[in-house]
Amino acid sequence: MSPEFYIAAGGIVAAAVVIILLFKAVWRVAEPNEALIISGLGARRRGEGVDSLGFKIITGKGAAVLPGFQAARRLRLDTRAANLQVSCVTQQGIPVHIRGVVIYKVGDDLSSIANAARRFLDQQDFMTSAIHELFTGHLRSIIGNLTIEDLILNRERLTSETRASAADEMSKLGLIVDSLQIQEIDDETGYIVNLGKPHAAKVASTARIAQAQRDQEATEAEQIAAANMAAARRDSRIKEASYQAEIDRAQATARQAGPLSEATARQEVVVQETKAAELEAKLAEQRLQSQVRKPADAKAYETVTLSQAERDARIAQAEAEARETELRAAAQASQVKLAAAADAESVRLRGEASGAATKIAGEAEAQAARARGLAQAEAAKALGLAEAEASEAKGLAEAQAIRARAEALKENQEAVIAQQLAERWPEVVEAGAKAFGNVDHMVVLNGAQGVEELLAKALTLGGAGIGLARALLNGATPNGTEPEISSKAP
Amino acid sequence: MVGKQGRVTGKIGPGLVGEVMIPVRGGVEAFYAHPSVPDEEFLTGSIVVVVEYFPPRTVYVARALI
Repeated sequence: MSPEFYIAAGGIVAAAVVIILLFKAVWRVAEPNEALIISGLGARRRGEGVDSLGFKIITGKGAAVLPGFQAARRLRLDTRAANLQVSCVTQQGIPVHIRGVVIYKVGDDLSSIANAARRFLDQQDFMTSAIHELFTGHLRSIIGNLTIEDLILNRERLTSETRASAADEMSKLGLIVDSLQIQEIDDETGYIVNLGKPHAAKVASTARIAQAQRDQEATEAEQIAAANMAAARRDSRIKEASYQAEIDRAQATARQAGPLSEATARQEVVVQETKAAELEAKLAEQRLQSQVRKPADAKAYETVTLSQAERDARIAQAEAEARETELRAAAQASQVKLAAAADAESVRLRGEASGAATKIAGEAEAQAARARGLAQAEAAKALGLAEAEASEAKGLAEAQAIRARAEALKENQEAVIAQQLAERWPEVVEAGAKAFGNVDHMVVLNGAQGVEELLAKALTLGGAGIGLARALLNGATPNGTEPEISSKAP
Repeated sequence: MVGKQGRVTGKIGPGLVGEVMIPVRGGVEAFYAHPSVPDEEFLTGSIVVVVEYFPPRTVYVARALI
């Protein structure tokens, strides 16, 4: 290789290195969390008009910066935190001490970056103190309008009002608030503590009540359990006692079983001995009977039999003697009687013969007289009977007639009276007509009608008779009843 | 900016400066928001659409039709 080649190669490499170094010196790259602010020659963009910034803002890419002609600064876009310590007074005049933190950053749009760059590019560490002052001022004014209850309970209101009041300043500064946190609210007067006390006391009392109730329930449950345990123990003891009693009874029975069986056995023995004694006694009795009583009985029987036989023999002897005497007397009597009978027979036969004759004559006479009397009596009896029957029939017929009339009267008095009048009607009319019979010349003024009236008057005499009879009847029996007739009626 | 939709993170209403998060420039940024129609209110969490943009960080919003 020629030395020129090496020189040329070295020159190329050197040139490349120089180019790279130059490029490195000129080319600036903006990191994601920063913005490059380039000012100087050519920084004003073409065609941007009057309100051009006069510098270039590069984010997220690279740009060439001509050393000496242009200046490039970096503005950090990442978040910053500012601790807030505020001592202020609330609406109620209670001093409180509030600690919080605000997290903010430079806005991502070009106008925000431009605003922030103009204000803070060389004093980026001063940014936090400025934010601190800004937010503490706003917080003081806001908290002055709020009560502690709002601070505690309504933090949303605090943050929203803070945002509203700080919005303009933050826009001017080109910053945005990512987060505003109130960390602590301290008050020296103990207001917050006292504020919480009623609730805490309520919660504590609720807790105590709940605890007492649970305690009570637990105690009740324990007592019930204890009572149940006692009951179970009692039951088990009762059962144990009963079982023990059974055991004792069984043991006693078992203990008494020996003597009892002994006694039973002895009783059996006694019974058997008694039977044996009874048998012996019976045997002795039997023996006594067979040896003493039977012979004695036999002897007595012999004696009695002998004495009876002797007595019978004596009686028989006496009877025989009496009989003999009797027979002898009878024989004598019959001899006398025969003689007397013979005499009597002869007398009697004579008497009988005369008596028979007298008797036959008397009987014939009596027969004739009796026949005559009988015939007369029969005739008289027949006559009397006939008369009696006739009179009885007559009486019965009269009684019947009276009873019929009485019944008729009871049923219809007027009918009966009328009937009787009707029966006598001819006689009545005849008597009425006799008055006309004495008249020689009769002048009748009304003609045929007059004759009719005359006859009618004569005939009405019968009707007058009826009325008279009724009056008499009523006078006799004012109540219309007829006690005589009814008493006559059977 | 105009036409973008965003989510309300601070109540928007008359007399209030609300906050709305809008996806822009590859991220999500917070903007101060006011109602485009006076007396309209948007509670936190509702979706709104940007009808006007006042740089750097203020938008006027209306109810999004979604």
